[in-house]
Amino acid sequence: MVSKTITLTNAQGFHMRPAGVFANAMAKYKSDITIKFNGNDVNGKSLMNIIAACIKCGSTIELVCDGADENEALQAAIELIESGLGE
Amino acid sequence: MKGIATSEGYGIGKVLVVKEPNLEFTPKTGCNAEQELKRYRSAVEKFCIKTEKAAERVKLAASEKEAEIILGHILMIKDPYMSGEIEKLIENGQCAESALSSVCDMFAAVFSSTDDELTRQRASDVNDIKNDILSILLGAEEQDIFDAPENTVLVAKDLTPSMTARINKANIAGIITETGGKTSHSAILARAMEIPAVHSVPEVAEKLKNGETVIVDGNDGIVIESPTQKQIDEYTKLRTDFIEYRKALSKYIGRETKTVDGIKAELAVNIGKPDEANKAIECDGEGIGLFRTEFLFMDRSTPPNEDEQFDAYKRVALIMKNKPVIIRTLDVGGDKGISYLKMPKEENPFLGFRAIRYCLKNEDMYKTQLRALLRASAYGDIRIMLPFVTCVDEVRTVRKLIKEIMSDLSQEGIAYKEDIKVGVMIETAAACMIADILAKESDFFSIGTNDLTQYIMSVDRGNADAAYLYSAYNPAVLRAIKHIIKCAKQAGIPVGMCGEAASDKKLIPLLISFGLDEYSVSAASVLSTRKTISEWSKREADALTEQVMKVETAEEVEQLLSKSQK
Repeated sequence: MVSKTITLTNAQGFHMRPAGVFANAMAKYKSDITIKFNGNDVNGKSLMNIIAACIKCGSTIELVCDGADENEALQAAIELIESGLGE
Repeated sequence: MKGIATSEGYGIGKVLVVKEPNLEFTPKTGCNAEQELKRYRSAVEKFCIKTEKAAERVKLAASEKEAEIILGHILMIKDPYMSGEIEKLIENGQCAESALSSVCDMFAAVFSSTDDELTRQRASDVNDIKNDILSILLGAEEQDIFDAPENTVLVAKDLTPSMTARINKANIAGIITETGGKTSHSAILARAMEIPAVHSVPEVAEKLKNGETVIVDGNDGIVIESPTQKQIDEYTKLRTDFIEYRKALSKYIGRETKTVDGIKAELAVNIGKPDEANKAIECDGEGIGLFRTEFLFMDRSTPPNEDEQFDAYKRVALIMKNKPVIIRTLDVGGDKGISYLKMPKEENPFLGFRAIRYCLKNEDMYKTQLRALLRASAYGDIRIMLPFVTCVDEVRTVRKLIKEIMSDLSQEGIAYKEDIKVGVMIETAAACMIADILAKESDFFSIGTNDLTQYIMSVDRGNADAAYLYSAYNPAVLRAIKHIIKCAKQAGIPVGMCGEAASDKKLIPLLISFGLDEYSVSAASVLSTRKTISEWSKREADALTEQVMKVETAEEVEQLLSKSQK
C-alpha cells in the first residue's frame, strides 16, 4: 500500500468534469484507489462518490493506492491532480 | 404570469405543452435476476446511445461545453460504484425500475444535502438520468419536439436534457417551465441557443393551452397569456431591437477595450460570490474590479474563520488566472447589517459606525480577513481595497496591520505577495476632498459612484421624497469624479470606477475624457460597456465633456448626454 498527501489546486475542485477525468484515469489500474478526505474514505474510481464528497479547491486529501500496480497508480494520480485535472 | 428570467430576449408564438411521460411503476421483488439484469443493461445501452446523439445535436446548436454536461450523464450511470449498487439490488430480486430508482434517489439525496451549490445541482442530473432510463424501461416514449412548427413556445413542467436537445432552434420562439432556474440544463441551453426563456412559472403547463398565443419576456421573467394586439406590436418591436442589439454586441467578444483613437481601458466585473468569477470569464471580463466580501459573513451565526475566507479569495484568484482581482474588505453597516456582529442601532447608520470604522475597532476580526487575503495573494493578482475611507490615518493603520501580518507570515514560512497593492474606494465627500493626500499613500483608487452620489448630494437614496436628487448627473457629482481622477493621475496611480455609472452609456464619454483607467461593471454589462467605449474617440469625448461641465443642472447634463449618445 502506498499513499501521499496532496492539495487540490484546480479552480473547480473535484466537480463533475475533473472528477470524471480522475475516476476514468484511475479505472485503468487494478489497485484499489482511496481518497481520504474529512475523515471519509472515498472510492477514487467512482465519479459519483467523488462528487458526493464535495472536495473543493484548496482541500488537502490523502491518496491511498493498494494493489499490484499501486506505485504506477499513485504516480498517475498525483500527476493528474498537479496538472489541474484537465482544466 | 411571473417567473425567473433565465434566458434573455423576447418571444411571441403559439403554445405547445410538452407532456411528461408517465413514469409510474409497481415495485416488484423476487424477479428473475438474469432477465431483469438484461433489461436494465439494454436500457442503459439505449440511454447512452440516445444521450450521445443528444450531445452531438447540442454541440451543433449550442457549444461543446453544453454538450459535455449532457455527456456527463453517461459517465454518471457508467460509474462502477453506482452501476454496481443497482445491479446488486437487481441480483437480490428487485425489478430494474425500483433498483434504478432507489440508487438514484439515494445519490440525489446525498448531493442535495451538501453545502456546495454545484454539488447540489448534480442532484437534478441524477433525477434526469433516472427519468430517462425509466422511460426506456417502461416504454413511455417522450414527446418528440423536433418537428414543432415555426414560432412554437414550449411549455413544460420540466424539460429534460434529452428533450431540450431535440429543440430545433429555428422553430422555437420561447421556453416556459414550471420548475428550475438559471442553472437548469434547459436554461443553460436556452441561453446558448439564444432562445428567450422563463422558468419557475407556477402551474403554467396547466394554465396554458396548446395553440394559444403567448409572449415570453426573458428579460423581466414575464409571461403574457392571450396578449392584446397592442402588446403583440410592442413586443414585436422589442424583439427586433433586441436581436439587433445582440448582433451588435457579439462583435465585441474577445476584443480589446479601447477608444476609436486607441486609448486602452481595463474592463472588469463586480462580483459578490467566488463562483461569479466564472461568469466574469464567460462574459469576457478582463478582471474583477470589486469583489464584495459581505456574503462570506452573512447567513451564519459567527464570522468566517481564516481558512474559510482564504478558500474563497484563493478560488477567485485561481479562476481569474493572474488577472487583477480587487477584493474589498468587509463593508458592514449602513444598510448592510449582520446580526451576530452586534452593531448598535443608530440614528444615522450611513454616517455612523460602518465599514473601515467598524473593522479598525474590531481588529482581531479584521486581521483575520487581511491575513486570509495575504495568504490568497500567493495564488494570483489579488489587490486589497478599503471601503468608506474618510481620512488618511485609516489607510496608514491598515498598512501597519498588513505589515505586521506579513512579518508573521514570513516567520511561519507562508507565502504571500510582498508587493500586494492596497487601494482606496473613493465614496465619501471627505475622500474626494483629500484625494490628493490619499493618492500619495494608495496604490490605486476605485470610485464607488453609488455611495459617492449619496454622500456628495447628502441624499438618502431610500427616501422617496428626496430620491430625485440621487443622480450621478448632478454637476456636484461630476465635478467630484473629475477631481478624484485628476488627483490619481497627478500621483501616477491607476483609477477605476465600480459603481453603476461605469456602465452608463451616457456617462462613459465623460469618463473617457477625465481619463478613467478601469471600468468595473456587472457581468451582464461587459460587452455593452466595451461597445460604448469603442464608439468614442478621446477628441469627441473631450468636446462633449467641455460642454457638459459648463451646464448648471442635472437635467441639462442629462439632456446634453442623451442627445449626444452614439
